[in-house]
Amino acid sequence: MGAKGFTTTRRRLLKGTAATAALATAGIFAPAIVGRAKQYDGVVLNGVSTSSVYMRRVKELVPEFEAKTGMTVNYEPLSFPIHNQRVDLELSTQGSAYDFVNLTFIYSGRWIGAGWLTQLDDFINDPNLTDPNWDPGDFVEGAQKSLQDADGNTYGFAHFAGAMLTAAGRYDLIEKAGLGMPKDFDELIAVCEAVHGKDGVAAWVSDRNHHWNSIPYLMGFGGEIFKDPPNNLTPLLDSPENIEGAAFYGRLLRDYAPSGVLTFDNDVTLRTLVAGQANMRTGELAWELPMATAPESAVKDTVRFGLTPTGPAGWYPGNNSHGYAIPVGSQNKEAAWAFIQWALSKELMERIAREQGFAALCRRSIISSDWFRESLQINGDDVAGLYLEVLDRGGEEPYMRYRTVPVFPQVGDKLNKAIEKIATNQQSAEEAMRQAQAEAVQQLKLMGIELDI
Amino acid sequence: MREAAIGPEAGGSGAAIADSFDADKRRFYRFCIWPLALILIVITLVPMIYLVAISFTPLNLTQPQTFGDFSQPIRNYQFLTEDGRFHNSLWVQAKLSLWSVGLQLLFGFLLALFLNLRSSFLETLRTVFLIPMVLPPIVVAVIWKMMYTPAISPFHWSAAALGFEIPSLIASPDWALTAIIVAEIWQGFPFTMLMVLAALQMMPEEYIEAARIDGANVWQTTLHVTLPFLKGVLLAAGLFRLIDSMKAFPLIYLLTEGGPGEVTEVTNYYSFTLAFNFSFLGYSSAITVILMAMTIVLTWAIVKIVRRGEALV
Amino acid sequence: MSSAGGSLAYAERWWRYARYATVVTVLALVLLPFVWLLVTSFKPNAIIFAVPPVLLFKPTLQNYVDLWDGMFPPSFLNSTVVAIGTTVLSILIGVPGAYALSRATFRHKEQMSLWILASRMAPPIAFTIPYFLAYRHAGLLDTLPGLILIYLTFNLSLVVWMMRSFFDALPPALEEASWIDGASMFQAFFRIVLPLAAPGLAATAILCFIYAWNDFFFALILTRTNAMTATVAIVNFMNLEGWEWGKIAAGGTLVMLPVIVFSFLVRRYLVAGLAAGAVKG
Repeated sequence: MGAKGFTTTRRRLLKGTAATAALATAGIFAPAIVGRAKQYDGVVLNGVSTSSVYMRRVKELVPEFEAKTGMTVNYEPLSFPIHNQRVDLELSTQGSAYDFVNLTFIYSGRWIGAGWLTQLDDFINDPNLTDPNWDPGDFVEGAQKSLQDADGNTYGFAHFAGAMLTAAGRYDLIEKAGLGMPKDFDELIAVCEAVHGKDGVAAWVSDRNHHWNSIPYLMGFGGEIFKDPPNNLTPLLDSPENIEGAAFYGRLLRDYAPSGVLTFDNDVTLRTLVAGQANMRTGELAWELPMATAPESAVKDTVRFGLTPTGPAGWYPGNNSHGYAIPVGSQNKEAAWAFIQWALSKELMERIAREQGFAALCRRSIISSDWFRESLQINGDDVAGLYLEVLDRGGEEPYMRYRTVPVFPQVGDKLNKAIEKIATNQQSAEEAMRQAQAEAVQQLKLMGIELDI
Repeated sequence: MREAAIGPEAGGSGAAIADSFDADKRRFYRFCIWPLALILIVITLVPMIYLVAISFTPLNLTQPQTFGDFSQPIRNYQFLTEDGRFHNSLWVQAKLSLWSVGLQLLFGFLLALFLNLRSSFLETLRTVFLIPMVLPPIVVAVIWKMMYTPAISPFHWSAAALGFEIPSLIASPDWALTAIIVAEIWQGFPFTMLMVLAALQMMPEEYIEAARIDGANVWQTTLHVTLPFLKGVLLAAGLFRLIDSMKAFPLIYLLTEGGPGEVTEVTNYYSFTLAFNFSFLGYSSAITVILMAMTIVLTWAIVKIVRRGEALV
Repeated sequence: MSSAGGSLAYAERWWRYARYATVVTVLALVLLPFVWLLVTSFKPNAIIFAVPPVLLFKPTLQNYVDLWDGMFPPSFLNSTVVAIGTTVLSILIGVPGAYALSRATFRHKEQMSLWILASRMAPPIAFTIPYFLAYRHAGLLDTLPGLILIYLTFNLSLVVWMMRSFFDALPPALEEASWIDGASMFQAFFRIVLPLAAPGLAATAILCFIYAWNDFFFALILTRTNAMTATVAIVNFMNLEGWEWGKIAAGGTLVMLPVIVFSFLVRRYLVAGLAAGAVKG
């Protein structure tokens, strides 16, 4: 029942008549195959998600979906922290306030692990509920991985993939210094050293989600967050490798970033880059691309993209994904599934991608299509190719697994605080990471999680 | 029309009437007090007992089996003694409360002295000074987030225009707490100002006159006459603000989220993160019980002090 | 400050103007942040981030218009309903209770008073945790009645404390006189006492409204979509891609508007009420 499944007769249904019809069925679904056109008449879906380009466009197009199905969809894209906090609270009550939510990457292990989300495989495998053309296999594996449990059961479908790339808005400054895109950590420092302060440009910038931004560097030095996630969740924050990585990352923030960088939410970070006040970040492509596409961008012609630098112990570009999922307490699961199918259908994705240029999509058929690659040729870089390369890297090796365990939010929070302390010289990397480790261990013990310590 | 007066001098039938008046009074008071008492028990006392009960369990919503698990009742409280972050939060709270309340009192007091003049001009201004106090706290937080965001802050702009590059205060471990304290003072000083003004207007003019005639100057009168007169009010206002400062939430939620590091993480905020970001409801309840105990002690102190100070006002 | 002679009068006039000047300067400084929010709410989005700031611009209502589409209008309505609902309930239950506390003597009166004040002072999280857990099962999460109920925890105490001091100020001889005139206590309360306390009652009601309206914490935890209040709706404009400062400022302005209007209406009682409640204990 993807977009194709909806017939023109349904399109003619008006919401008003639909609502009255619903009173008759009183919210009980007729067997799916019977009278599909009226199956969801009058159903009221309440949903939230985080607010990204794609989500907001989907919200704008909701009336089309309502006209097709007779549902009323109250869909509110919320700000990231507000969404996560509310949904976490709501899921913890197993309440029915939401019929669909954003399956936020860092909460995926927690929410899936606690049994708060609906397993979707039964829906996928039911031809009455899922359009055969919908093709769940089309979603890039690297993006889907975090939306599944250890046994491979699916709990969400990705609408957003955050593949980490390097973007340098003032690549001209790097070239002028006789350097290129940094391939390893030493080159990164060299580039920062050469660029910082030139033309009033800060060499580096990053938002304050350090527990996202810093971990590729920790791993690059050979660090691991947990001993063996998801089986052994003993945190390893104070390992020598992690301390080295944290010191390295703290140095980037301390020595090469604009003043006040520690308060930068993503929007400020992006604005700094777009205005050409800072040169480089390693972050999700979606939050870098505006340097090339935003009308107000001052660095349109000088921005270049590349893979993130490789550390002494390897290349671990951050990789995340966000999806739509259905809370276990929802009273309208089938209708919610119909909505998710529509919102993530090939047709809608392609349509939005053509309108918006790039929307961090996760369908391979679109990312690897010629028109899409063509649209992401930026100053000579094949950005779509880089994006897919990082996504596939996340799919082939489970190094991102640390992020999807239920206790990552707590441990990540400790790491975040540690990085802030290092970057502001409150503590040495060693002290900060030792304290973070001690606090993480204490909290995990409080939860009754078995640790090796 | 009833015939007799009520009172000890009334005799005979008057006493009977007085009795029935007393009976009617008692009946009416009972009718008035019971609904209040019952509802208060249901909406405040029972939840409080529930909170204490939860604090004896390891309740965590990701682990349903922890609900009602009383096997290790004092475990949370043991953790409290070991939890460095909790201890830090108490220290941050103490700094925030003492500085912000102390300066609010000072600022409110001085301003009240300035405003205490029979003048319709000043009376109008007085009202305008109340604005920060009545604003929704979340709006106060939005306002100060603006003040502290260099890209849109008039404060940062004017500094830059004068040639100073002021770094973002809420990002700096040295300044973040100060930034919060400034916002707290802004929000809280009108309360002290109001209370002091109200008290000043009750102060007999003769006090000042007498001091004047004895040759005291403005400073001496303020120090030796006005201030002692206001002691009780200032103490009460201070305690009220102290309790309020323990509830500081929207400012920290919007401005710093407790950071950088844990520089601005007050106990209330720490407890909030534990309960509603990480689902540690049991442990968070234990912290909250401590907060509640502190509140009750302070409230009790207000009542005591105010009672004693009543003669002064 | 009465005058006593020519030169003294001159000095006093000078002192008076110095005072005015100081007060006005302080006032300007104090109000600047507040005014900045107002100004930003009328700024076109294009110049909000302009450096140096554009101080003269053609004010636009666009930010307010933008608020219209989305969660803000229903949340505003929710705030209104909840604030009025809790005010009415608090008054109905609290006013007679305050009267009894003012007049009667009974066992545990002291403890009851202390408890009422303490529950007013309690950190919101102390009630939020038990209410949150109970509401899960009672189906009261994300409902207006749920919010009204939890707002009673602070508003009921407010009513009791404020009204009690207003009743204290009325002589008990009033009821005695009306008793002699043949009125029952019930009648005396409604016909004599309450009308005399009416201004205080109005001020109390308005303060109740303001406190309920201003709440952020309870609504943040206990509402989702249906019962979201205006204070929470404001933070929804803080998106990952950018804080929509124009909308935030416009929303903030709308949320504070009723509060400011009401406060000015009751400014006299704001002094009397707060001070009485606090000082008289």
